[in-house]
Amino acid sequence: MSWLSQAATAAGRGALRLVPAARREWAEAVWAEAHEVPAGWPRLAWRAGGLGLIAKEGQMTRRTVIGLAFAAAAGAAAWGAWPGSPVSHGAAVQGGIIITLALLAGGPLLTRWVLGPPDSRAARWLRAGFYAAILAVIPVQAAIGLFIGAVPRAGIDRHVWDIVQGAAGPGVPGSSSGGPDWGGEIAILFLTACYVAVILALTARRAPVAPATLAIGVGAGLMVGVVMYALAPLGLNFKYPDRPWLHGWVLELFVVLAWILVFGAPLIAGAIAGRRCHVPDDPGEASVARAWQGFAAGLISGGVGALFVTVLGGGTTALLIRSASVRDWLYHGQHLTASAVYGRELYASQNVTGYFFLLVAFPIIGLLVGLAGVGLANPAPRLPDGGGPGGPPGPGRPDPLPGPPDGGRQADVKELAGVGGG
Amino acid sequence: MGSRAEFSSQTLSVLAALCGQPSAWQHGYALARQTGLKSGTLYPILIRLADRGLVEACWEEEPVPGRPRRHLYRLSADGLATATAALAEAELTTAKVRPDASSRRRRGVAAPVVP
Repeated sequence: MSWLSQAATAAGRGALRLVPAARREWAEAVWAEAHEVPAGWPRLAWRAGGLGLIAKEGQMTRRTVIGLAFAAAAGAAAWGAWPGSPVSHGAAVQGGIIITLALLAGGPLLTRWVLGPPDSRAARWLRAGFYAAILAVIPVQAAIGLFIGAVPRAGIDRHVWDIVQGAAGPGVPGSSSGGPDWGGEIAILFLTACYVAVILALTARRAPVAPATLAIGVGAGLMVGVVMYALAPLGLNFKYPDRPWLHGWVLELFVVLAWILVFGAPLIAGAIAGRRCHVPDDPGEASVARAWQGFAAGLISGGVGALFVTVLGGGTTALLIRSASVRDWLYHGQHLTASAVYGRELYASQNVTGYFFLLVAFPIIGLLVGLAGVGLANPAPRLPDGGGPGGPPGPGRPDPLPGPPDGGRQADVKELAGVGGG
Repeated sequence: MGSRAEFSSQTLSVLAALCGQPSAWQHGYALARQTGLKSGTLYPILIRLADRGLVEACWEEEPVPGRPRRHLYRLSADGLATATAALAEAELTTAKVRPDASSRRRRGVAAPVVP
């Protein structure tokens, strides 16, 4: 019995660190109180209850489920993307997978230490969706890289490959270059690290971003992403786009809609986020708080939009090169020869790199336009004497109105307000 | 502010135990003995009540030598008012739910046998 009790004591003392600081004294209280409980089973049961409290307050169940879900998804992504032995540039792909997973696993721990954990449902959902997107991109990127690097031995396919890749392509017939080189891999890793850092920082507790701002940014980003995916489901190529779904005036409508949304969605998201957030009374602090909301809403809308089209467009391209039914679905009613199919697959695989441009450009556009949206929707307040930003200081806020005298009428208050308000 | 619907029967038992000596600080183990609740049930209830400002908590100022300081609890002013109202409402609701049973109990009449 004594060793059980000692083990429970040791486990409890170690587990106290898992409880958030605000709740730790309660767990310590259970532990301290255990000395008053009769020794033996009653004390052991008391300490077991304390461990249950620690598990509950430390959100151990949620953490365990999240950890297991991440481990399973990360394992599946790595398994799907891990290059085989014939791939000559497999080291770059393997390195990319390992570093990406390390970023995803270590990022939240570092952010938690510096900025705190996510403390809203919107923040947790945004993180979960972002992680799912990044993990989905890993096998998609590997599959496309493997396909685009596979050099046909001869025949019409080799001719098509030469046209798309260039006759002086790096490939050796019958082999596979295995995807991007170190330079491309490093660029993708850098971009991934930037996305991970920004999303984790914006969703942390100490970030000056309201949960509503996150939701607004995600909503605006999804609108952008859906329209962009409809326009560019098989990679991005401004000169020779492959758009299997949209034709004629519908296509033109979507192009106009896309241009409007790319700039309009973060603008409106920034404006709404700036107006919705609770701001301090001080005008200067209020402006800064609103600017943060506009910045975050715009940045998130751009990032979510770009990531959405990258995941769906990359996924569609990866399925195109692997599934005949997806090919038939995309080019429904078109009778394509084998070489034409191969050409489209190769072309789409190459155009997927165009999404990289969106991943860089959309967040930048978003944050700038989101800030502009806040400025438009919340112009700097002008003080009655003409003072304002850069002007002489105004008289400040009027003193609070006195309460009505006992038995006084409500009209008295209105009259006072009329006088006080000038 | 507080109503019976807001509190579980276990929370009501904790409130009742604290109401018994509203001005005195009580220990967790004493509350557990009064309510019959395990530590894993009692402390989450105390935490929620403290979060709502109904219970005040502090550490013992003069601990017994050789033992760690204990955590003490009592109802706040709001907590006392809320607990009194909630317990009264609970009693009233119980009486409404089983009026026949309570009146029979008062009169010492046995409940009819339902076929």
